[in-house]
Amino acid sequence: MIQPFTPEPIRYVAEDGTPVQPLPARFTPELLRELHALMIQAREFDRKLITLLRQGRTTFYAQSSGMEATQVGLARSIRVGHDWVWPYYRDHTLGLAMGVPMYELISQCLGTNSDTCRGRQMPHHFAAQAQNFVSISSSIASQVPPAAGNAMAQKYLGVDEITVCTFGDGATSEGDWHSGLNMAGAAQAPALFVCENNQWAISTSIREQTASETIHIKAKAYGMPGYYVDGNDIVAVMEVLTQVAEQIRGGGGPALVECLTYRVGSHSNADADAEKHYRTREEVEEWLGRDPITRVEKLLEHLGHPISAEERAELIARTHREVDEQVLRAEATGQPDWRIVFEDVYADLPDHLRQQEAFLRAEQTGGQA
Amino acid sequence: MTATQDRADQTGAGESAVTETRTINLIQAVTEAIAEEMERDSRVVLFGEDVGARGGVFMATAGLQAQFGKNRVFDTPLSEASIVGAAVGMAVRGLRPIAEIQFADYMGPGFDQIISQAAKIRYRSAGQFTAPMVIRTPSGGGVKGGHHHSQSPESYYTHTPGLKVVMPSTPYDAKGLLKAALRGEDPVIYFEPKRLYRAAKGEVPNHDYVVKLGEAAVRREGTDLSLIGYGGVMPDLERAADALAAEGVSVEVIDLRSLVPWDRDRVLTSVHKTGRAVLVSEAPRISNFMGEVAYVIQEQAFDVLTAPVGQVAGFDTPYPYVQDKVYLPGPNRIVAACVKALTY
Repeated sequence: MIQPFTPEPIRYVAEDGTPVQPLPARFTPELLRELHALMIQAREFDRKLITLLRQGRTTFYAQSSGMEATQVGLARSIRVGHDWVWPYYRDHTLGLAMGVPMYELISQCLGTNSDTCRGRQMPHHFAAQAQNFVSISSSIASQVPPAAGNAMAQKYLGVDEITVCTFGDGATSEGDWHSGLNMAGAAQAPALFVCENNQWAISTSIREQTASETIHIKAKAYGMPGYYVDGNDIVAVMEVLTQVAEQIRGGGGPALVECLTYRVGSHSNADADAEKHYRTREEVEEWLGRDPITRVEKLLEHLGHPISAEERAELIARTHREVDEQVLRAEATGQPDWRIVFEDVYADLPDHLRQQEAFLRAEQTGGQA
Repeated sequence: MTATQDRADQTGAGESAVTETRTINLIQAVTEAIAEEMERDSRVVLFGEDVGARGGVFMATAGLQAQFGKNRVFDTPLSEASIVGAAVGMAVRGLRPIAEIQFADYMGPGFDQIISQAAKIRYRSAGQFTAPMVIRTPSGGGVKGGHHHSQSPESYYTHTPGLKVVMPSTPYDAKGLLKAALRGEDPVIYFEPKRLYRAAKGEVPNHDYVVKLGEAAVRREGTDLSLIGYGGVMPDLERAADALAAEGVSVEVIDLRSLVPWDRDRVLTSVHKTGRAVLVSEAPRISNFMGEVAYVIQEQAFDVLTAPVGQVAGFDTPYPYVQDKVYLPGPNRIVAACVKALTY
C-alpha cells in the first residue's frame, strides 16, 4: 500500500524514462500507449483551442499543457459515470479522458446551440451529466464544500461511489477549501481531494501562496492522509490515485492527494507571455524537461516498445482533424437564442420572470409580444 | 369564521370546511414542519450547528435527533460555508437537505456558497444539476442581540436570481411555507423572525397542508390605505391598523410572506382599492426589498395613488444593541407614516 506523507513526491518513472521502482503489472505497453494517446489528444486539443481563440471563435481558454499526466491519470483511476467529480476550471483534459465527448467540450467553448449548458457560462466551464462531471464554477474553491456534501450524501445513501474534487494550488488559500476539507474529515465522507499543484495561481507562485512546505501535509490538520505524487509521472498518478480511491470506497474516509506538476503555458489568454511578467524562461525550460508525454515515450522506448515518429504524427493529425470537424459541426448549430436567458433560473418560470421574458420577446421580435 | 378558515380562504389552499386545528407557536410550527417532512421523505436531512442533541439555540429542532437518528439530524463543524456548501452537494446528489444557520447574521461565510453554487447550478448546467434545498435561519431584531444577532439581511438574497426567499409571521404560514419549500425544486432561504418564535401563536390544521410560495395574505381588509409588511414587523402593522381604526381609518394589512417570488397582483389589487400604500420592513432602507415593491406600485398604480408610497424601514446603520426598540419601526412610526399618506 502507498504510504502517506512522504517527504518527496512518489514516482515510478524518472525523467529519462527509467523506472525507479518496479512498474505495477497492469502498466503494460498497451496501457501506456493508450494513456500516451489520451495525453497527446489533450495537448493537441489545447493547441487547436488556442488557435480558435486567436481566430476570435472563442473568447477564453485555460490550457492544461504540462498537466496531462495528472488529469488523464485521475480520469483512469475512478469509476466514470459512477463516481462524482466536482472539477475546477482547468479540467478539460480530465473531462476528455473521462469520455466527455469532444463535441460537447467544443460546443461549450464556442457557446453554440449544441452546448449542453446552453451558452450560460464563459468558455471552458463544462458540465456533463452522463459522467457525473458537475458544473464548473469560476469562483475559486467554491466547489470544495459541495463536494464534501456530495460525499456525505453518498455515505448517507449507502452507495459505493466516491466524490472527487479537484483544485489548483491557489484554491488551498480560500476559506471554502479549509471548510470543505474539515467537513469531509469530520463526516468521514468518501471524498478524494486532488490538488493539481501547477505552482502558479495566475501570477502568484506557490511560495507566495503559502508558508506550508507542501500542500499535502495540510491533510494532517483535517484528520486525513495526504499523499505527495509526481504529477508528471502518469504511472505514479494512476497508481496512487487508484489505490487511494479504492481505499476511500472501502470506507477509509477522505484523503488529499497533491500532484506536483506545472502549467507550461499561461494561465489563460488574459496573461499570454507569462514568462515576460512573472516567471523565468529558465523555469519553464526546466519543467519542459520533465514533460509527462515525453516521459511516457521514453519509458516505452526503455521497455522496447517505442512509439514511432509516424505513429505520433498520426495521433496528432487525428486530433487536429477531429477538433476541426467538431468545431464546424458545433458552429453549424448556431447560437442559443434569447430564451436561454430565462430558462433554468428556477424549476418553473415565476411571474416576474414571465413578464421580463415577454418584454424581451417583444424586443427580439420587433414588438410582436 | 375561524382563523384557519380565514387563512385558507385567503391563500386559496382549498380548505372550505371547518378543520380540526390546534394552537401552537411559530417555533413549534417549524419543528412540526420538519418532523412531518422527514417522516414523509427519507431524502430530507437536517444539519447545522447544535441542531442535534441541543436542539438548536432556539430549540427549533428539539427532539428531532432522538426521533430520526444521527444519520438524518446532525451537528456540523462550526462553518457556515461548510453547512451551506454541503447542502448544495447533498442536493445535487439527490437528498433534500435542510441547513440551519444559527443566526442570519452569520451567513456571511456561507455567502459564496449561496450565491455561487446554490443559486446558480441549475442555470449554468442547464438543469443537468440542481440544488433543491432549504436554508433556515433566525432573522431580525427585538431580542437584545446587538448587530450580529439582530440583522435583517434578506435583501442580499432577494437580489440573487435562482434563490427563493420567504419569511413567515404566523405559525400557519411558518409550517405551510416550510413544507412547500421542502417539496419544491429550488433553493429557498427561509428566514424565521426570531422575536415571533414564541410570541406568534395561532391555529394550524391537524392535517397536512402547504402554503404556496409567492402568495401574499390579506390579514385584514380595508379601504383607505394598504399597509404592507412581512416577518417580525407584522404584529406592529396590526397594532398600527388598530390604532388607525380607532380614528375611523380603514387599513388593509398585507403580509407578503414570500419576497421572491412576491405577490404583485395582491399588492396592486389592494393599492387600486385604497390609493395609498405604506411599506414596512425592519431592514436598513438603502436597497431594502420594499424599494422594489414601491417601484412596482408607482409603475403599475401611479394613476390611482393619492399620496406618495410611504416607507418605514430600519436606519442605515449597524443594528444597535442598547437602542434595540428605537431602531425597529414600531407602531408609532408606522402610524405616523400612514397619517402622512392619509393627509397628503
